[in-house]
Amino acid sequence: MSALTSRTESRGVSRRDLSLVLWQVRYEQRAYWRNRGRGVFTFVFPVMFLVIFGSLNTNSHLRSLGGISYDTFFVPGILAYGVIATTYVNMAISTAILRDEGVLKRMQGTPLPRWAYVTARIASTVLIVGAMTVVTLGIGVIAYGVHIRAATLPGLILTLILGTAAFTTLGIGITRFTPNADAAPVIVNLTVLPLTFISSIWFPTTTMPKALIDVAKFFPIRPLADGLEYAFNPHTAGAGFNGGDLRSLAIWTVVGVFLMLRFLRQPQGEVV
Amino acid sequence: MFDTSLVGAQPAIEVRDLRRSYGEVHAVAGISFEVARGEVFCLLGPNGAGKTTTVEILEGYRSRNGGEVRVLGIDPASGSRELRDRTGIVLQQCGVQSDLTVAELIEMYGRYYTRRRAVDELIELVDLAGKRDVRAKKLSGGQRRRLDLALALVGDPDVVFLDEPTTGFDPAARRGAWSTVRSLCELGKTVFLTTHFMDEAQTLADRVAIMRAGEIIAIGRPDELGGRDLRPAEIRFLLPAGWSLGDLPELPDVERSLQGDRVLVVTREPVRTANAITGWALERGVELERFSVTQPTLEDIYLELTGAAEPPDRVSSATEEAIV
Repeated sequence: MSALTSRTESRGVSRRDLSLVLWQVRYEQRAYWRNRGRGVFTFVFPVMFLVIFGSLNTNSHLRSLGGISYDTFFVPGILAYGVIATTYVNMAISTAILRDEGVLKRMQGTPLPRWAYVTARIASTVLIVGAMTVVTLGIGVIAYGVHIRAATLPGLILTLILGTAAFTTLGIGITRFTPNADAAPVIVNLTVLPLTFISSIWFPTTTMPKALIDVAKFFPIRPLADGLEYAFNPHTAGAGFNGGDLRSLAIWTVVGVFLMLRFLRQPQGEVV
Repeated sequence: MFDTSLVGAQPAIEVRDLRRSYGEVHAVAGISFEVARGEVFCLLGPNGAGKTTTVEILEGYRSRNGGEVRVLGIDPASGSRELRDRTGIVLQQCGVQSDLTVAELIEMYGRYYTRRRAVDELIELVDLAGKRDVRAKKLSGGQRRRLDLALALVGDPDVVFLDEPTTGFDPAARRGAWSTVRSLCELGKTVFLTTHFMDEAQTLADRVAIMRAGEIIAIGRPDELGGRDLRPAEIRFLLPAGWSLGDLPELPDVERSLQGDRVLVVTREPVRTANAITGWALERGVELERFSVTQPTLEDIYLELTGAAEPPDRVSSATEEAIV
């Protein structure tokens, strides 16, 4: 394009850049916890559902799942929903707002590398998922007597990590398809809510038609819920790794990273 | 306004035959100009003239189809971090993380730059001291623009791009922003400005370029643009009671006419002509009410060049009055 060659950037990641990422995480955290609307939508809702559904079904047992208590099914289901709310829902809505308000464009004009900004946003989301996990499991253990089994802890953690990776990257990536920030909550609800009903989030779906089960298993919500329930199920042997669910979450992570990179490569100046 | 130590140095901005088209539309149709270090350069033009496309190419936000662009010797299309470290940008309508406060935002953005200005000094500079700990979402439009300016200056940039920086300001805030821009050029910063306001260009710019339909149609000092300094001046006053136009002194190369009860004298030598007229009035003890001498304003030239007005009807067009 130009006859004169311009200076190229050094590709290495310096210590200064890493400290910039940590710096940015602090401000991302501050902004997240201060915004009451987003906090309610992504953090308070799952906790509220946990308390409501948990209170409605105390002392019941699920014969279809080998007679485990309802809470042992329900707490991991809500945890899955909480992960999706704090990653996918949060990212899809906040990224669309940042794009529409021109914040992404402003960030692009600063010397903060784009990868550092995105890394900080993702790291901040991971912290929120951590808080969500602690609150959900804390309530589950204290109020509903759910047992976190040491044996299946590796499976639980790996499922949470892959779920967070898949839904965070999908949340950023879907911004490419949201025409504006007002449409983001609609698109988020359309893509999440219907699937939660066939994905063993609110109630077991063992009696569901096979076709619906296949649909649910194609998308990543059911693998996340199943993977977490598997780790909590007292009948689970071994370390709690549910291969099929983990594989599905890994594939969706690849899809999410692909969509995220496509979104991030668009220059913000040309978008608006 | 130029820093003499920088004379002969590489220009801050170099643009040669810059082109950008969107389909059939030539938003920028081959423009060239240079901006010297320490200069305040202003791009004026009607909406759709290609101003924002030009600025956004210089800022590295948009790509170009042809031509050469260098800012501080670096091609902005390269996405150079060094260049972003040394430029400050005020975009039109550009948000911030609105849950953070003024001080937090300045602190946060400041960390991205290798050089940075102190938070409270910047808050003082843009006159937001009373809003230091207020969240950005609670600021008024004008306060947001001042925050934009603070964020553009936080990295102590060498080149500052200001895309319509005072839109939405009240008159006092505009004068405040102008004095900030002037203090920038005292520090040797280069300022690239687009604006709709003629008085802003007139007051701030060392040089002005007028764009129309993707081309630069005039470029020069604001007081010389379009031969403004060579245009005839106009002297106006009320015809004193009991006198007629023919009673006024005869002067060579001067057109006199009567518009209602107002006398209009068009002259290329305003000092000599005014002196002759006022001398004539003083000798006879006649009062010349509402006496004024005017030159065509930058706005007159702008409207004429951009074709937004008919060739100027000198009487009806708005003029900047220097009332004697």
